[in-house]
Amino acid sequence: MIAFTDVYYQYEPEGITALHDVSLEIAEGEHLALIGPNGCGKTTLLQHINALLLPGQGTVTIDGMDTGAEANHGAIRSRVGMVFQNPENQIVGMTVAEDTAFGPENLCLPPAEIRERVARALEKTGIADLASRNVETLSGGEKRLVAIAGVLAMRPRYIAFDEPTAFLDPAAARRILEVIDKLYGEGIGIIHVTHNMAEAALASRVVVLNRGHISLAGTPEEIFSRIDILKEIGLQLPPAAELMLMLKETGLAVRTDIVRMEDAVCEIHSLFNKIKKG
Amino acid sequence: MYSAGSYLTGNTLLHRLDPRVKLLATVALSIIILTAQPLFLLIIFLGLLLTAFSAGIRPLLLLKAVKPLRYFIALIFLTHVFFNGSSVAGEFNFFWFSLSGLQTATKVTGQFICLIMAAVILTMTASPSQLVVALKYFLYPLRFLRVPVDDIAVMIILALRLTPLLVAENKRIEVASQARCYNLGKSGYRTRIKAFIARAAALLLGVLGRADHLAAAMEARRYQRGERTSAVELRFAGYDFIVLLFLFCFFVISMALNSSLR
Repeated sequence: MIAFTDVYYQYEPEGITALHDVSLEIAEGEHLALIGPNGCGKTTLLQHINALLLPGQGTVTIDGMDTGAEANHGAIRSRVGMVFQNPENQIVGMTVAEDTAFGPENLCLPPAEIRERVARALEKTGIADLASRNVETLSGGEKRLVAIAGVLAMRPRYIAFDEPTAFLDPAAARRILEVIDKLYGEGIGIIHVTHNMAEAALASRVVVLNRGHISLAGTPEEIFSRIDILKEIGLQLPPAAELMLMLKETGLAVRTDIVRMEDAVCEIHSLFNKIKKG
Repeated sequence: MYSAGSYLTGNTLLHRLDPRVKLLATVALSIIILTAQPLFLLIIFLGLLLTAFSAGIRPLLLLKAVKPLRYFIALIFLTHVFFNGSSVAGEFNFFWFSLSGLQTATKVTGQFICLIMAAVILTMTASPSQLVVALKYFLYPLRFLRVPVDDIAVMIILALRLTPLLVAENKRIEVASQARCYNLGKSGYRTRIKAFIARAAALLLGVLGRADHLAAAMEARRYQRGERTSAVELRFAGYDFIVLLFLFCFFVISMALNSSLR
């Protein structure tokens, strides 16, 4: 379990408080979406999970290991993988396989095990055919998958994604989300920072961060029913929830607690069936 | 975007060759090039073109890799033409040049181009990891003198990774400037120098920011100074021995040929 207890964090020398009294627990195997406006502290919170940032006050523990103790950093970084927003700043190797091997090489694993881990990670992310490709020749979406494979090769228990679909075309974004869903299915804890509400709706729990505070936390259905608070913060509803609200406003008797598009389709389909029969 | 000079994926004989053999071959070839006479240099040049072609490197790509050094090559040529010779063969404004100067300039420039070509063929057919493992193999004895061989290896990987990124970043700044109607056109040297400094500063700031992010990402993947292992395992195959033998014979014959031509 990842546990934040009364965490404060201030950026020096600007003196900007990025996290203010944050307490949060993330269970192993959970898919948590972290949403909030720009500058609300999402990335700062994420970097605390990997011990890249240490709390000014309070504690962050990963499976009971305090990030404040430097001796724990190695074990913490093996358990929590981090996929940064810009893959260009994360890729170290020149070829896909070389970059994927970077983490296991740091773990001083034997060459045969490194190659086995690399092969498995590339297979899981669906880029095994790109193994010997120069990373400079890849598309933005493929580079993201390389970044994910590099983290997977470390065999982490949790993976923190910082806006993994930002700047990607819909097909590439869908591919990334499919990989995330697959990893969640395998029991890896997912911490997913996003500005895309449709992506947040896919999580098992959503946390809304605003000005360094946790404003709301709950299931996607609970969070996206708090329309007033979300609007006040400057956040929107997922397209499915928006659609249901609009249909309701036109006088149709539809549920408004729907946040995922496939649920919305089911609801509209059953409504049509009712109208046909009636 | 692929930048010329960086690793080109392939499965040719040259790609499959043990990186230690490739590294040794480049060093041996560099010695031969530096001692070669003009005619032999031409043969080496053609041999390098052929080698590049056999590794799937098009001549245009090889030329692109040499292109960034064109001003330096021109400077070497002109310096030798005007300042390295005895008898006057012609005059150009206030400068005079000699036939022997022209000969030396051609030879030295040829040597320089061949050296770059050899290095580029090496970096285009051996991935940074392979090169680094080969280099670590040769530097191994230095560990006993407490030289941080693993740290040097990571530095080389990063330098090889960041160089094409720098080129791409420079291109981005150039395009962004042009998009905002920035055109030096017929501006004077002073304006051009100022523009160069401004771009260099922007590039440096960008690179520092990127280095910072990369350091964080490396730390997140458990990088720390000291020993690391590698996915690359060096294994000598049959053709590695053949190439090594050929290389040895070529080196001896070349050195003998060069001294007889002198």
